[in-house]
Amino acid sequence: MRIDRRVIAHFDWNLFWITMLVPLMGLVVLYSAGFDPDAKKVLPQWIPDFLQVRAMLKQVLFIGGGLAVMLFAISLPPSFLSRSAYFIYGACIVLLIAVLLFGTVVNGSRRWLAFGGFNLQPAEPMKFALILALARHFSRKPPGREGYRFLQLITPFLIFLIPMGLIMRQPDLGTALVVGAIGFAMTLFMGIRVKPLVIMISTILLAVYPAWHMLHDYQQRRIMTLLNPESDPLGAGYHITQSKIAVGSGGFMGKGFMQGTQTQLEFLPEHTTDFIFSVLAEEWGFVGCLLVLGVYSLLLYRLLLVVLRSKDVFQALVVFGVTVQIFLHTTINIGMVIGIFPVVGIPLPLFSYGGSSVLSTMFAIGIVLGVAMRRFAFVKS
Amino acid sequence: MAGIDRSPVNLALRFRVAVGVVLTFFFVLVLRLWYLQILKGEYFRVRSENNRLRTIYVQPPRGLILDREGRILVKNRPGFNVELISEDAPNPKETVTRLAGILGMQAAELLPKLHDQSKRRRYEPKLLLKDVSRDIVALVSSRRFGLPGVEINVTPTREYVYGSLASHVLGYIREITKEQLDSPMYAGYRNGEIVGQFGIEHKLERYLQGKRGVRRVIVNATGTRYGESSFDPEIAGHNVTLTIDLDVQRAADEAMQGKKGAVVAIVPNTGELLALTSKPDFDPNIFAGELTAEMWRSLGGKEKRLSNRAVQGVYPPGSVFKIFMAIAGLQEGVINKHERIYCPGYLSFAGRNYRCHKKNGHGAVNLYESLVLSCDVYYYTLGQRLGVDLIHHYSTMFGLGQLTKLDLVPESEGIIPSTEWKRRYFKNKEDQKWYPGETLSVAIGQGAVSVTPIQLARGLAAVVNGGRLLRPHLVKEIASNDDSFKDDDFGVIEDGVVKIKPSAIAEVRAGLKGVVNDPQGTGKRARLDKSFPVTVAGKTGTAQVVSLGLASLGEHLEDHAWFAGYAPEENPEILVVTLVENGGGGGANAAPVVRQVMEAYFKKKYPEAQLTPPPPGSPAAARVVQAAQPQTGGGSE
Repeated sequence: MRIDRRVIAHFDWNLFWITMLVPLMGLVVLYSAGFDPDAKKVLPQWIPDFLQVRAMLKQVLFIGGGLAVMLFAISLPPSFLSRSAYFIYGACIVLLIAVLLFGTVVNGSRRWLAFGGFNLQPAEPMKFALILALARHFSRKPPGREGYRFLQLITPFLIFLIPMGLIMRQPDLGTALVVGAIGFAMTLFMGIRVKPLVIMISTILLAVYPAWHMLHDYQQRRIMTLLNPESDPLGAGYHITQSKIAVGSGGFMGKGFMQGTQTQLEFLPEHTTDFIFSVLAEEWGFVGCLLVLGVYSLLLYRLLLVVLRSKDVFQALVVFGVTVQIFLHTTINIGMVIGIFPVVGIPLPLFSYGGSSVLSTMFAIGIVLGVAMRRFAFVKS
Repeated sequence: MAGIDRSPVNLALRFRVAVGVVLTFFFVLVLRLWYLQILKGEYFRVRSENNRLRTIYVQPPRGLILDREGRILVKNRPGFNVELISEDAPNPKETVTRLAGILGMQAAELLPKLHDQSKRRRYEPKLLLKDVSRDIVALVSSRRFGLPGVEINVTPTREYVYGSLASHVLGYIREITKEQLDSPMYAGYRNGEIVGQFGIEHKLERYLQGKRGVRRVIVNATGTRYGESSFDPEIAGHNVTLTIDLDVQRAADEAMQGKKGAVVAIVPNTGELLALTSKPDFDPNIFAGELTAEMWRSLGGKEKRLSNRAVQGVYPPGSVFKIFMAIAGLQEGVINKHERIYCPGYLSFAGRNYRCHKKNGHGAVNLYESLVLSCDVYYYTLGQRLGVDLIHHYSTMFGLGQLTKLDLVPESEGIIPSTEWKRRYFKNKEDQKWYPGETLSVAIGQGAVSVTPIQLARGLAAVVNGGRLLRPHLVKEIASNDDSFKDDDFGVIEDGVVKIKPSAIAEVRAGLKGVVNDPQGTGKRARLDKSFPVTVAGKTGTAQVVSLGLASLGEHLEDHAWFAGYAPEENPEILVVTLVENGGGGGANAAPVVRQVMEAYFKKKYPEAQLTPPPPGSPAAARVVQAAQPQTGGGSE
């Protein structure tokens, strides 16, 4: 591939640095959350004692890997993504079906596929595959002036309802909702006529009741617990209660770095992964939370700017889908730790500890960076 | 931008809407954070503190109880309690049921305890069994993996060093009752705490209890201790020094072995109690462990082991009452020490013969002889001269029929009859009338007259200490271990002064000396061994339990034996009153008890002196024989 000089010149450094700022802040919090003075020193000797925090060091490796993945994503031309969209989508659907058949069960749900020593959670790439497939479909079949008609919506809805249903079966309520929301948001982005929109929204509302009964007991309990967490402080409500205590007790200025009692004494569950924001809130207070939310706002703003400046509908839709995904993950995760959303296993993008999440998010942002820098390049058609 | 222009998608509008949606959602998040962190920050801060801090109370050692010479009567030893920490037991009921099985108990015995303590926090231990044997400790320890949450805890446990000795004085401790928890007297006490329930343990609870230690420990989510936040150490209870003298108390206990009754030994010039014995008694050590229903029954029941006969038992004083009769007669001038009254063995009055205890009569007796021989006819006559109301006046002055305010257990008052008392006591007009014949019974300490042993001790003390009616007391000093607190202001409390001519006192005391030392005296057995340079004085009493008209002689109708004496006669240091229920004659049965108590007291002053050997055939003698021949076994009974 011939690299146009203008492509390099238009690299979106602002987006890149903001993207890197989030995991850097995350590392500081992870250091505190993952610190365990009694842990055996399983890490190499040359690492200084004070850096012997397993979760943080592994996260550094994940971010390093993420940068490589990001570079790879940047190199992929949008035309290639457009052409291979349905293939990637199809592959992910196959993986999702494979998970339901051969997946390993963890905590009562079947989410992981084991490849030798490597575990894959097909729902993660599925989100991106869905974005590609919908972008491909919508860009090929643009709506009329008034937006899509009802019949025109059948195909795109199938595109996101199929993976949503498969993920629901695992069951993984959180990811299924994210997948559905991405699909819905992208559809809205293209425009829908008023009548089908009303029908859709009323269908969703009507579906709430039967959907409730399709949920598993523990899922129902988590939603009920959200409404009244104190009803079961040691059972299902434990996560929410402890997280709220951690967040609230942080106060305005926080308890200080490494000083969070909820975190250090392990009252806070999953404090390196799903509940990392509680650690931030406890140790850095309202001020720290505002700062991190501010950085996420900037990140989302920069992503949306790329949407605004996109060269074609396909690219705009891809970048928009990625933005929606990051926005949903951020909002759902924070909403969950501060007790306004049920506890679903959604990590905080680029902040929570975890390879899959870091790699897939950085890959997605890499795609966005690729789109952004190619906006002035000529494409051979 | 050619591609965009062709599409119906207005990107600028979508950009603005998207930014608006993001800001709206983030604004909601910020509002929620504001609510949690700023508005309710303090609330959650407290909750996070409660999460990590656990308060553990440390039981303080209870204060010691010492005798007047500082010898330990009550102390603390390590005791082993079996406890359950609910949060470490996944299923507490199942664990307790299994524990009961291991110990061969019924689960129903242990489960209620779990329920009773359900208000305790999950990390606080709940007491299941207290003061268990080392065998049970070993058994539970060896099975502890099958008993999650069950712990053996070592706590200071009360030990009464001399068993049942002075049990009515020392009392016992026991878990606080529900009623006590509700009463303001026990404000600040917690469910399950051990408090004094009887005797000095109860009366001085506030001093003996000490202050519990408060340990605030930092724990993590699994309850593992992480460190200590603060520790206010427990403060041992104050030590209480009693006026009781261990040697005297032991002698009284020995002398009363196998008998029912009471011994009161008092310092006549101060009111300090040197010994206070009531038999039958109980072993307060049993209250430290599990009490079976059978044990409770043995404490109550006919024996009334818990009742303190020295303070709560009321008995007719019999001839001991003659001391106060004689004083009243001399003070009123109705007799003098020279006058002789003829005793033919009875006194005829209103068509009835009132008998003297000596059938053939004592002949003409003067005051001295009336006391030495305990002539009833002399006192019938004196009673007639005084009249019942003067008798009542003088006895009451000496505190008879009145509370002594010892304030150890609810005290009995007794009765000193008078015409007014009869009017008050009876409803029926006929019964309210005082018959002069009744005065005769009263004059020899019979009829309706009834007193407690401690009243007689206080009254006789007033006779020999110049008329001061002193309040009997048991506490000499209360002091903390580190001397930061010390109260030894438990001196003499005078509840009244009796004004009597010194000559009258001297004449009566001469008679009381004769009772013990005259060859004809009824109280010869109270004499100390010749090796003691101490003269004893006193008065015997034999109180009839029922009127002589009834001649069915079951043991319970046997007379009560009294002796009230003091020594040295010239300047009394110790005064002892003994009552032996259904003991028969006072001279034969109560006087030796007093002698034994006094010998124990004076043996310390005169170490070379010899104790009187116990008479052959007595339980004490049997013990001496057994001690001499430990291998013989059996013996002839």
